[in-house]
Amino acid sequence: MSGPEDTDLPGGWEAAAAEYVLGLLPEDELRAFESQLVQDQALQQDVEAWEAYFAAFTDDIEEVAPPPQILRRTEAQLFGKPRAPLWQQILPYFLGAVAAAAIAWMAMFGGLLQSSDEPDLWADLETPSRGLVMLAHYAPDSQTFMVRRDAGDYPADRSFEIWLIADPESPPVSIGLVDREQLTEIPVSDEIAAQLPGATVAISEEPLGGSPTGVATGPVLSLGQLEPREEL
Amino acid sequence: MTTPQAEIEDLIARIAMGDRAAFRSLYDRTAAKLFGVCLRVLNDRALAEEALQDVYCKIWARAGQYRVNGFSPMTWLITLARNAAIDRRRKRDAGERRKQDPIDAAEMIADPGPGPAQQLQSRAEAEALFGCMAELPPERAEMVRRAYLEGATYNELSDATGVKLNTVRTWLRRSLMQLRECLSR
Repeated sequence: MSGPEDTDLPGGWEAAAAEYVLGLLPEDELRAFESQLVQDQALQQDVEAWEAYFAAFTDDIEEVAPPPQILRRTEAQLFGKPRAPLWQQILPYFLGAVAAAAIAWMAMFGGLLQSSDEPDLWADLETPSRGLVMLAHYAPDSQTFMVRRDAGDYPADRSFEIWLIADPESPPVSIGLVDREQLTEIPVSDEIAAQLPGATVAISEEPLGGSPTGVATGPVLSLGQLEPREEL
Repeated sequence: MTTPQAEIEDLIARIAMGDRAAFRSLYDRTAAKLFGVCLRVLNDRALAEEALQDVYCKIWARAGQYRVNGFSPMTWLITLARNAAIDRRRKRDAGERRKQDPIDAAEMIADPGPGPAQQLQSRAEAEALFGCMAELPPERAEMVRRAYLEGATYNELSDATGVKLNTVRTWLRRSLMQLRECLSR
């Protein structure tokens, strides 16, 4: 276990891990430590352990309810201003009118019309830190959701799980695993298909076979929004 | 059936996917604890409110990097809160060299340890930490505690002890190694 070479301080990297968590490392040593940290798993475990032990210093700190405007301000900072309530009230009627017009139009043209007017949807799913490049593609003609892995390794002991987040207020829904060998093709129900335009697709890394809990447990590798795109 | 710990892990995973309802649930469950931590570090309500807002913005941005690692997810949240508060505290104090309360071995009393087990999830860590802190010379334990809870720097610890900076650092690193050895027992 060797520490930074130019110091004769006791403890090497192990002591530096505790100094790092306490915020005591001088600037230049901090950079050296962080570049060591990304490649040294034992050191990462040390840092995590120090964080857990030192967090116990906060055990006897009383809870204090923060004033309610903090949540409002934080949400405004993160998500922008809340949507105008008027818009929310009108939206269902507007959609209803659009649907009625569409039905009238389809009735006029009878069976001529298939769903082929709906555009294909695409989302880039990239994880630069792992060199992973995936592409999600939804083809409405066959009502099939596809994921293609173009670059990056698929760990042998893990599964990549595909999640659909229809809107920010609803929990992600798993729609399947990324195929290890070939193009992933998942037929989707009418219900899921209706939610796809504009929805967010996420890929998370899970234990083999997918999340055991039905909720993502692993790190989220990438997020992308499904959108129509010019023909490729 | 699910533990509070697993529920918080689930919320973090959902936040990583942009789930705003999960974000609000996590806030409702954890903000009072994290606000307490920010207040303790900063001892200033307005700054603590700003720090708390920083914390939840970081939680939203970094939830995808959170990994279940065997420790309580509260550790991750408390670390973010402590670090955000220390950042604000150091910015506030930048420039002025604050007068330090002296650390004097003769006046040190043993740390009373954590209060009643209000933070069940970190009980094991708390018992180990306070047990091992008690094995350190009291003034060195106080240095570790001040570094964590007050963001004390080596300069400030040097002022507080009247000992040269390099010596303080050597002492503290030895103490940290002693602590590590004790904690891994």
